[in-house]
Amino acid sequence: MRRTYLGEFEELVLLMIAILDGQAYGMTVSQEIEQHTGRIVTLGAIHNTLIRLEEKGFVKSELGGATMERGGRRKRLFRITALGSGAARDIQQLRSKLWEMLPDQTFKFSSI
Amino acid sequence: MIAPQPPRWARNVLRLLHPGNTLEETEGDLDELYAYWYRRSGKAQALLRYVLNVFSVLPPFVRRRQDASESDQPFPLNPDMLKNYFKIAWRNIVRQKVYSGLNIAGLSIGMACSILILLWVQNELSYDRFHEKAGQLYRLTCNAGDFKAAVTPAGLARGLQQQMPQIEASVRLSKPVTSLFEAGDKKFEEKRVFFADSNFLSVFSFPLLKGNAATALSDPGALLITDEMAAKYFGNEDALGKILRRNNGENLKVAGVLANARANSHLQFDFIIPMSNLARTDNDLKTDTWGNFNFYTYFQLAENADRSVPGLHKLTARMFEIYKAHGQTLKIGFQLQPLTDIHLHSDLQIDLAGHGNIQYVNIFFVVAIFILVVACINFMNLATARSERRAKEVGLRKVVGAGRYQLVLQFLGESLIFSFLSLFIAVGMVVLMLPVFKMLTEKALTIHLLDGKLWASLSGIAVLTGLISGSYPALFLSGFAPVKVLKGKIRVAGANLFFRNGLVVAQFVVAIVLLVGTAVVYKQLNFIKNRNLGFDKSNLLYVPMTGEIGAKKQSLKGALSQDPLTANFSIISDLPTALVSGTTDLEWPGQVARNEVIIPSLDVDENFVSVFKTRVLAGRGFSRAFSGDSSSYIINEKAMQIMGMNLANAVGQDIVFSETKGRIIGVVKDFHFKSLQYAVEPLVLRLNKWGGFVIVRTQAGSNEAAIAALENINRQLNPAYPFTYGFLDKDLDNLYRSEKQMGDIFNLFAGLAVFISCLGLYGLSAFMAEQRNKEIGVRKVLGATVAGVVALLSQDFLKLILIAIVVASPIAWFAMDKWLQDFAYQTSIDWWVFVLAGILAASIALITVSFQSIRAALMNPVKSLRSE
Repeated sequence: MRRTYLGEFEELVLLMIAILDGQAYGMTVSQEIEQHTGRIVTLGAIHNTLIRLEEKGFVKSELGGATMERGGRRKRLFRITALGSGAARDIQQLRSKLWEMLPDQTFKFSSI
Repeated sequence: MIAPQPPRWARNVLRLLHPGNTLEETEGDLDELYAYWYRRSGKAQALLRYVLNVFSVLPPFVRRRQDASESDQPFPLNPDMLKNYFKIAWRNIVRQKVYSGLNIAGLSIGMACSILILLWVQNELSYDRFHEKAGQLYRLTCNAGDFKAAVTPAGLARGLQQQMPQIEASVRLSKPVTSLFEAGDKKFEEKRVFFADSNFLSVFSFPLLKGNAATALSDPGALLITDEMAAKYFGNEDALGKILRRNNGENLKVAGVLANARANSHLQFDFIIPMSNLARTDNDLKTDTWGNFNFYTYFQLAENADRSVPGLHKLTARMFEIYKAHGQTLKIGFQLQPLTDIHLHSDLQIDLAGHGNIQYVNIFFVVAIFILVVACINFMNLATARSERRAKEVGLRKVVGAGRYQLVLQFLGESLIFSFLSLFIAVGMVVLMLPVFKMLTEKALTIHLLDGKLWASLSGIAVLTGLISGSYPALFLSGFAPVKVLKGKIRVAGANLFFRNGLVVAQFVVAIVLLVGTAVVYKQLNFIKNRNLGFDKSNLLYVPMTGEIGAKKQSLKGALSQDPLTANFSIISDLPTALVSGTTDLEWPGQVARNEVIIPSLDVDENFVSVFKTRVLAGRGFSRAFSGDSSSYIINEKAMQIMGMNLANAVGQDIVFSETKGRIIGVVKDFHFKSLQYAVEPLVLRLNKWGGFVIVRTQAGSNEAAIAALENINRQLNPAYPFTYGFLDKDLDNLYRSEKQMGDIFNLFAGLAVFISCLGLYGLSAFMAEQRNKEIGVRKVLGATVAGVVALLSQDFLKLILIAIVVASPIAWFAMDKWLQDFAYQTSIDWWVFVLAGILAASIALITVSFQSIRAALMNPVKSLRSE
């Protein structure tokens, strides 16, 4: 099976969706990323990434949860799929495997 | 707490440009974010970030969400929708009666024509396919140079079969032998009598109704007759075992009753007599000759024999080897003609009569398609021209959610309703017209209305017609933009007009080509009829010399010369209509190679030149004054040229013809003795010592009396035989019957094509006049004359006809030139034929258009203008 490529920002958004656990939509994802990473991201970037993740099958979405703050408009709530969490875990495992393979002096150099 | 609101202009930009299916959520997200930034960093910062973020979700940055699941199109063939489609279609048909009538009339006439033609084509193609072994059966034919003949020598069939394992069986058939049959008090002369080898029934699949197929043709004293003949001679009695007396001589026993020969068989027989009967008297059969070409030979090839074209070539090459090894010097080629090709692909001489012509089959097939196309074009034209009437419907349907393909489906469905309605009317027309068409084509055409296959193919035609004629209107109508249509701004676009004009031109191209074709066919037929044949063909009455009359030649001559009505007579061996004899056996002084040319011969008497009014160019005709004429020859110009002689030196030369030495005593001007499809061939005339036909040149107006006199003579000299006679000019006309038939059929369909085109034109002109109603009103108020308005409305159509004439002329010229190449003597295709066809088409079109244009021009302008 062909592994679907997951970009760095996509991975970040995917993790945020998992963390937010049912409360993930455009505004919350963008807020959380800003708070946790300090990066300033545009809604457009989030919006496109969410659509792309859904096309890849890592997340699924449904409309719901209208509130007063949004003028009664519905949110698109995202949830991670089994495929999505599998992909995130794969990346994590690959990282730790690669980290273990690092020779010792790399740490020295990096610590200088 | 009231959430702070982002600037309205930015939100408007977002609403305008952001993709519709994600607008709601994005707008909400942005609102929430704005409130968050507002609380955290103040209004200015929030505004800046809001605008920035709005731009980030506008095209081209934004990614579009692909979702079909949110708003599914309903199933287009929902029963409710179907019901609605039918209802609307029916209402449209009923509301626009004239338009629907024109459409259905055009389509159904077109379909009826095509069905009739296709029935004919199918009949032509079905010939000889009913034989079980049709694929294995071949007829052996041969050619000497350009002279191709269907006959082969009597001994060849068995000789070849013995040496070639690929030949499983061979059957020989004689040429048809006119015979007199008698049973009890019934006595008739029969023409469809053949002698056939005993395996005739096992090779061909002609069913035997009574009798034993295995032994039916083994007894030389027996014969087979068809069911029809059994009824003719024996009525209701059982014919089997009954006696038929042939030629007042031998008695033959009926050994079997055959089913009537099928109409689509190239062998048309009433009587089959065993070959062994003929073998008692016929010299060819007695000697098993390989030299005289007098029999039709059919081979059944083995199932495993290579029957591809090169395979057959190999077989015929081998046949020629065997033929040469047998000691034959004649330089000929052999061909194996598939049985199923005989009817349509024969252009052989000395062949059985009644063959078709594949060229006509092709031509008429194309004509059938053309007529159908013309009818389709009518439909397209009227449907698009009237599209404005449906425009509002299309707009409304789109507004309430119809997709384009739904509309296409709807309009295609409507045209299918039209085409199937037309199909039923067309089938009715076909049933009514079939007897007339049968008379015209002289074919046993039938339409089996309960045949599933027929209906399947007819439905195929209807579906095809519906799809073709509905496609353009459907695509055109479904493309309307709803807003424009509902505002009433739709105008017929230029491209649409161009397309429609193109269609009208195409229609008239077809009509004009057919008109020119008809004219040329008739011109050629006329040309042939009036061509000088080299002898005077009018008032030539002939009587075949049958029975005892041959032996009483002297008393016949005496009786004929006594009556002034018949005194101007001649005795000739064959009629100069379709001479079938020929030999290569001619030697002349200075000859380089022998046996190269087939030379027909004719036996004539001393009166030939005076009765036929031929011209003697050199020397003299046969004469009683010269005693040695029985071994003299007269030749025609063509023969003279072939032998390398000229008018000055030909007379007096000695030649050997048919192994008989003789002297040339005269040269006659070429005259035709075969169909004008063939150029004049060389001819040798010998003095008639036996008989053949009595030809009498009668006085104009005294034909009846002359016939009575001849009948009287026959009764005295030949009482046992019924009297028959014929007119030479009628027989000559009959040679071109298939051409005349083609002319008549062509004429009929050309007329119909023009008629269908005019139906369309009528509808179109009505539409045009209606559209220009106000313009005409204004023109009339300003002083335009009726003639001026009519001219204005007609000139558009006239232009199209002119274009059609220009396009059609070269096509017609090319097609007819090809047809004419079949004839050795061709009429010219004159320019006036095209002008005539053009003027005819243009005037018919003008008359059609004028119905509407005159009405429009005569209308009171107050009526058309008062509403504004």
